[in-house]
Amino acid sequence: MEELFAPPVYEWKRLSPKFRSMRQLTSIVVPPVLLTIPAVIVGVASGRWWISGLIWAAAAVIAIVRLAFVGRSWRSWGYVEREDDLYITHGVMFRSLIAVPYGRMQLVEVESGPLERAFGLATVTLKTASPETGARIPGLSPEEATRLRDRLTELGEAHASGL
Amino acid sequence: MTASHPPQHTSADDPAATTAGPQPVPTGPSFKQTERPHPLTPFVRGWLVFVAIAIGWGREIITNAGDDQFDSGGLTLILPIFGVVVVMAAVTGFFSWYFTRFVIDDEELRIETGAIFKKSTKIPFERLQSVDIIQPLAARIFGLAELRLDAGNSTTKLRYLTRSRASRFRDYLLTRAHGQKASIRDLDQQAAASVLTDLGVSDQPLVQVSPQRLILSFLLSSEWLIPATITIIIVAVTAAAGAIALALGGLIPLIIGMLTLIWRRVIGMFNFTLAESPRGLRITRGLTNLTSQSVPINRIQGVKTSQPLLWRLQGWYRVDVDILGYTQGDGDGDESNASSVLLPVATLDEVELAIGRVLPGFDLDDIELHPSPRRARWVRWFDFWTLRYGWDDRTLITEQGWFTHARDVVPHAKTQSVRIEQGPLQRSLRLADVHIHTPRGPVNAVAHQLDERTARELALSQLDRARAARAAERQGRAVDAVRTDDHQGEVELLAAFGTDRDQLLGSGGESEVFAVDHDRVLRLYRSRHEAPHRTAAQLRALYNSWSGVDIGLELPLILEMGERNGRFFTVDRRLSGRNFSGWLQHADMAQRRPALISFLDATERLQELPGPVPGFARLIGEGAPQQFSTLVDLLSSMLRGPLQSSQTQLERDLPAVAEVWNRLHSELAQRSVAPAIVHGDVCPPNAYLSQGPQGPVVTGIGDFSPHTMHADPLLDIAGALIFLELEPYADAAADAAWLEAVAVERHGREIVHWIDVYRRFYGFYFSNAYAFDPNLYSWCLRQLSR
Repeated sequence: MEELFAPPVYEWKRLSPKFRSMRQLTSIVVPPVLLTIPAVIVGVASGRWWISGLIWAAAAVIAIVRLAFVGRSWRSWGYVEREDDLYITHGVMFRSLIAVPYGRMQLVEVESGPLERAFGLATVTLKTASPETGARIPGLSPEEATRLRDRLTELGEAHASGL
Repeated sequence: MTASHPPQHTSADDPAATTAGPQPVPTGPSFKQTERPHPLTPFVRGWLVFVAIAIGWGREIITNAGDDQFDSGGLTLILPIFGVVVVMAAVTGFFSWYFTRFVIDDEELRIETGAIFKKSTKIPFERLQSVDIIQPLAARIFGLAELRLDAGNSTTKLRYLTRSRASRFRDYLLTRAHGQKASIRDLDQQAAASVLTDLGVSDQPLVQVSPQRLILSFLLSSEWLIPATITIIIVAVTAAAGAIALALGGLIPLIIGMLTLIWRRVIGMFNFTLAESPRGLRITRGLTNLTSQSVPINRIQGVKTSQPLLWRLQGWYRVDVDILGYTQGDGDGDESNASSVLLPVATLDEVELAIGRVLPGFDLDDIELHPSPRRARWVRWFDFWTLRYGWDDRTLITEQGWFTHARDVVPHAKTQSVRIEQGPLQRSLRLADVHIHTPRGPVNAVAHQLDERTARELALSQLDRARAARAAERQGRAVDAVRTDDHQGEVELLAAFGTDRDQLLGSGGESEVFAVDHDRVLRLYRSRHEAPHRTAAQLRALYNSWSGVDIGLELPLILEMGERNGRFFTVDRRLSGRNFSGWLQHADMAQRRPALISFLDATERLQELPGPVPGFARLIGEGAPQQFSTLVDLLSSMLRGPLQSSQTQLERDLPAVAEVWNRLHSELAQRSVAPAIVHGDVCPPNAYLSQGPQGPVVTGIGDFSPHTMHADPLLDIAGALIFLELEPYADAAADAAWLEAVAVERHGREIVHWIDVYRRFYGFYFSNAYAFDPNLYSWCLRQLSR
């Protein structure tokens, strides 16, 4: 099974463990926060607070399930820079492996939102002429992200081939 | 000619207005006459705004009519506002027309706009990707047309011109965009195109879609039938219940959607004609708005053929193409945009004809399509039997769909990236999807539900194929660039010698060789060749000086030389036997090795040829025979030419190139040897093979060239060994290593060092191949970094 998504010859590079911590935090916090608003509205509007209780219980279940998957999801991410292309894999249930030739890259972006910055993380996104490419590596340390961006840009120029 | 030209005087109907450009009398240099678009422009634009508002408002009113009673009192308020808006639009239109000036002449294409913020757009002719003519109804009534200039990322509109001028400009600009020289005056004589279809006299219609077929196919198409059926059901049900008014709110958007569809698929595609014009493929279409768009073939990224269920009755197909930079024009209902439709409805023959034009040289029929495994039926129970994929060395094809069957064709060179995907159900069935990503457009090639292992193999090998195809394409472009003007007068010349293109024996950077008969070949020098006379005369003298010498090897001889139809040619003696390179591809090792020994023998025999001068010398080229006192002087003079073009590239690809260069010179300075004839390019493509008593042996060496010199004979021996590595058969590298061992056995161990030195020499010598032969260039880099 695993070999379908393994890169030829190379070893996957994995994401920073801080990414796992960040996802653990969001898994615990986000579902209760999101579901509190409808729960309160339902409670206030109908007066049946036991429905709100159910919603909160559901939030807790979602949080726990997500928490259980964070480790696997984090482990599922991997990327590797080969001579001519970059491979990225991720996904636990729905798995994917994407290969982007350096010669096709038009743009390499490094982004870091407030939450990511708090955890010392950054996301690298690669764009080609195709909108479907969607090659994204989240959860990198800023140094690794910058290194990857510079490296990819350099390789992109070296392999540049018009359209 | 005058700079202070009164604008109204420049009637746009008068072609002489632009053509009386600045050439005839070179008086004031910088004042070039610019002109305004047609004076009716503001009216047409004002009218368009009027219509746009009317439609927008009308839609709003109709949509709301279901819910609210229409308030007629509001109309008295709306109408004045409406009037003001239209007048303002007309005024803006007038100013934008007044401050728009353009010039299209032999030198430039420039458009100036803006009253306060002046903007001048100058588009280099070569950057033009396509030039389209668009005629909205209002403009069409006045006989005006918009010229839409597409250059890479930006689209510039020039509106409005008279239709005949617009099409003349279009023809002229497209000619210039193809890099051909033309004067705008030459095009003025051309007959005007037909008003209905915008087809010029020289345009050859390939496919024309008749109105009957267009309408019938539309009525049978799924995208029409589904909303139509839903509408009928809703109407029937609500009418039966006597509550049709209730459904109106839901029905009206549906009906508007259907009307939009009619507008796009029928009105917009009316009189659809795909035509071959001297400047490429062209599509004209439209009932009210006439659109004439050129199809930029080099920007096509993929082709999709689709067939809705009911079209199977008639055997009809629809063809869409991904064109780089065209977002889908269908999006915002602007039907005058360039669209990605290549054929709205066509029979199989027409589809094949059209695809043959947009993907020239691709052989799609020979691609074997593989079905997805049977177990795919658990995931795609509704269309698993339609899933297919296949590829050859240039394209990949995927097929899918039962309700609407679609076939996506993507040339490998256009592949952007690939993705393997697998969901949980697929995982349990060991299936996976492979997505081949292409730029934005209708083509979406996905090989669905492949066996895991096949999927992985397809995805990973696809990138290699894409790389190979891109390299081949680049090489092809370079070769094309060399060839563009090469066919001039060629047909007549070949016919005069009783031969034609099918008799092409070989081609190189300098010339092409055609078979004339058993004993003679015609060598046609490329028209870009700087001095074919000199080269041929020097070669002839050299060959003649060897005619009395028998070294047991057939050598070329120039029998005749001359010039005809502007092309220089020689008639050479045909070397007997077959080309060694072609033979090597198919020979087995037992035959190959003795033949390779004979190839080495032949190479060694070349040094027995008498040299025309005593010392080191270049034998062909300007000032030849040009003598040098040392070997290193001669060889660095040989390297000067190629390095001039490749130095920057080498410095980029090989940081240590200066060091390699210095080392080569110091090593060459240590070589002491008596000069002999060096062919300079002894490689299998230049050798000929005949059947000897013990099997096939090399019996002739041809194609002496500017590489030929009087120098170290080991240059050829080294060349024979190392160029063998470049042969495209599987064991070439192994054979080269083996042959090197044979040579070392014959000449002693010390030649190993010199072969290594000459590897670097040839690495530099052929490095200008970066521009046209990536394969050869990467070989050069390997030699230099050894």
